Amino acid sequence: MFKKIRHINYPMLLRVLGWLILIESGFMLAPSTVALVYGEADLTGFAIATITALLSGLGLTLLIRPSKNDMGRHEGFLLTASVWIVFSLFGMIPFTLSETPLSVSDAFFESMSGFTTTGCSAYESVEGLSHSIALWRSLMQWIGGMGIILFTLAVLPMLNYSGGMQMFNAEVTGITHEKLQPRISSTAKTLWGIYIGLTVALIGLLWLGPMDFFDSICHAFSAMSTGGFSTHDDSLCFFNSDYSAIVILIFMFLGGTSFPLIYRMLTGDYKSLWHNDVFRAYLLIIGVFYAAFVASLALEGEITDWRTATIYPLFQVVSTITSTGLTVTDFSSWGPFILALMFVLMFMGACAGSTSGGAKIDRMLLLLKSTRNELFKIVHPNAVTNIRVNEKVIPSHIVAKVIAFLCIYVMVIAIGGIMLSAFGMPVIDSFFSAFSCVSNTGYPGEMTGLTGSFSLIPASGKWVLSLLMLIGRLELFTVLVLFTPDFWKQ
Amino acid sequence: MKIVIAGAGEVGSHLARLLSRESQDIIIIDSQQERIERLDSTCNLLGLVGSPTSIATIKQAISGYCDLFIAVTPEETSNVLACGLAKSCGAKKTVARVDNYEYTLASNTPLFSSRGVDAMIYPELLAAREILKSLERNWVRNWFELHDGELIVIGVKIRDNALIAGKSLREISQENHFYHVSAIKRHHETIIPSGKDCVQPNDIIYFTTTREHVDGLRELCGKTETEIRNVLIMGGSRIAVRLIALAENKYKFRVVEIDRDRCEQLAERCPYARITHGDARNMEVLIDEGISEMDAFVALTDSSETNILTSLTAKEYGVKKTVAEVENIQFIALAESLNIGTIINKKLLASGKFFQMLLDADVESSKFMALADADVAEIEVKPKAKVTKAPVKDLNLSRDMTIAGLIRDGHGMLVSGNTVIQPGDHVVVFCLANTIHKIERLFN
Repeated sequence: MFKKIRHINYPMLLRVLGWLILIESGFMLAPSTVALVYGEADLTGFAIATITALLSGLGLTLLIRPSKNDMGRHEGFLLTASVWIVFSLFGMIPFTLSETPLSVSDAFFESMSGFTTTGCSAYESVEGLSHSIALWRSLMQWIGGMGIILFTLAVLPMLNYSGGMQMFNAEVTGITHEKLQPRISSTAKTLWGIYIGLTVALIGLLWLGPMDFFDSICHAFSAMSTGGFSTHDDSLCFFNSDYSAIVILIFMFLGGTSFPLIYRMLTGDYKSLWHNDVFRAYLLIIGVFYAAFVASLALEGEITDWRTATIYPLFQVVSTITSTGLTVTDFSSWGPFILALMFVLMFMGACAGSTSGGAKIDRMLLLLKSTRNELFKIVHPNAVTNIRVNEKVIPSHIVAKVIAFLCIYVMVIAIGGIMLSAFGMPVIDSFFSAFSCVSNTGYPGEMTGLTGSFSLIPASGKWVLSLLMLIGRLELFTVLVLFTPDFWKQ
Repeated sequence: MKIVIAGAGEVGSHLARLLSRESQDIIIIDSQQERIERLDSTCNLLGLVGSPTSIATIKQAISGYCDLFIAVTPEETSNVLACGLAKSCGAKKTVARVDNYEYTLASNTPLFSSRGVDAMIYPELLAAREILKSLERNWVRNWFELHDGELIVIGVKIRDNALIAGKSLREISQENHFYHVSAIKRHHETIIPSGKDCVQPNDIIYFTTTREHVDGLRELCGKTETEIRNVLIMGGSRIAVRLIALAENKYKFRVVEIDRDRCEQLAERCPYARITHGDARNMEVLIDEGISEMDAFVALTDSSETNILTSLTAKEYGVKKTVAEVENIQFIALAESLNIGTIINKKLLASGKFFQMLLDADVESSKFMALADADVAEIEVKPKAKVTKAPVKDLNLSRDMTIAGLIRDGHGMLVSGNTVIQPGDHVVVFCLANTIHKIERLFN
């Protein structure tokens, strides 16, 4: 005589979704204001988008009265995945209504690329875009960088219970999800606090350089969230400023660092920074790849002045490993070896718990250590080994999960590439675009010319790529689990 | 409020789960990774893997400040040690679960507080008290007193012979005014009733009333209070020893214990009780002990299943009051539906007690009792609160809640539709689980 429990609490799900849409409409006020200030024609598009979001949000929150308030694991996954899609759907409205309108597939692609901090653009040229559109593109990355759900957890007290916990687990990157404080809302507030603090600092520093205030904001959002949208077709090359490049380089690096670790450091715990295996690996990888880049450039005879030996290769290493995709120079002439190295960096990504994409160094570290153990066991079959990261032994089921993750990661890239080639794209381009989107880096399909954007990909291909970006941003499982029949079964 | 719980056993995790739904900062420590992982991924709290008696772990958990440190690991020595360590690391108040009655004696309090243990909880003692209470008031299922008995919440199982069975609440309330039907537990769900709901046989009804009307309520429910004299206890556990010690000469106890050595110990500790060595699951043993002459049967073995089934057998032999210790929380709902008079669960009692300690520290509102899926809370009404604006019937209160009674100037009174709540009143609210935060707004 138990009351039949509905498998998934849809009313509650929709209600929370309504809250989230209201938050998005709040964010949209920023570009709307910019449009108003600059007197741009895109104001209409933003006004329509804001009002639509506001009304849908209000409708969902006020009209739906869920009988039960609790949300479990199922709702957590479903909500997190759908929020990213819904945000992109509302976020694309201004693009379709702007002065340089995009088609629906292009606009969705653009907004998904923004929220997932992939940073690949469907615009052939971004030079002519209005201020409001440019700001909205950057703002989308900034929201998505730290996480939509995480932001909501910080501002909505109603999610401060176990349901919010599930959403946190579904969105935050990494193998295990580190909480900084007992309550999920205070953890979210701390992380967003750090994020906002760093962004404000970056805006200030950039403004001191040659960039104007507007470009500083846009590039700060883009670099901090490791997104990669720029306000110029030539990315940072446009400014041709060493100062701006170095500042952005540093903040991209911070964006790729685990935020819980930054928090520890801010609270005076410097020891944990140095004792963190992942952070050390992060530094080491950047160092080694920088050396390899310089060596290769020297062999190719590309080193002409001090910049090509220092800032340019280092910037490209950090930009790639953090999955940002901003560029300071045209590196198409750097040769195939460097391109191959960049593939490795794109795959790896930076630290878990950061705003970067990729498979994350944490996982690569586990894979390496596990491989070493397996090889050791071939020589010493009876040896008992374990994997230690940060002085803690990792249980074998987590190692298994990580290895499964990496295998699925490669499979997703392969399947994505095959699907794209079915739409008539060249094989190498399709695989590379799929790879670039899953890892949220956003380098365009043909690496020959940096400005060669994704605008050449057919519409259907863009939907596939959008899905791939989402899968990559939410680290596979959250999205893929929705495609399993077991998820929907009673 | 920041609360550190050491030990994610059954009491610890139950407590952590309950508290994490309130607005508390919970950190839970256990040395077993799986336990922490399970809690950490499903509850709004912070889990720490580490020994509860490790100074490094405790420091990490407390990290500066901690309002309450609760040690509930299985070992009492670890609990006492952990509390001492926590106190020296900056915990404001520490509570340890102990397994020794001697420790809880008031005369030993200074000794322990000088070692950093502010309070102690002995679940067996709580259970013994609870059993004693249920033997005294054997016609009720639950009995809670508020403000020294100014208001009383009583849970009663309704039988066919009850005067109110089959009537709707509107009809009942026209006849009598001395009680408030606050919640109905039917099958597996709890209903916050409205005037249209009917009282059905086999419901457990929660009434709120004042002391002088308890007898009237009993008659209304068709219950008689039976004088209990002879009590048969199955299983000579620590609860049994405490129960016999607490009851003094009020009851005549007989204890059936399966273990020979334990019997010897019991005989030594409980000089006035009759101890029998035997297996109480065996019918003949029970008949030999004169089961049909017993007024109450208390099952206190380690096995919940045995306790439930033997209590049912005792009921067949005409024992009027049965009490069973059920330690598996998931069995409780089932056992309640099986006509067992009172269910005793040490963990729930212990966590209830911890809750009360929080109540002393945190005043705004306090949940003092949790039914299966409903909460009962006492809330102080603030000046200018929404509920003070109109009589209760005009407030358009949500269907998930009901105001059962209030305490004004130290006197308990019931709330009807025409009552106007005043600032400073303490109201007793019944609400469905997890809606309490919504409700608090009405009173602030």
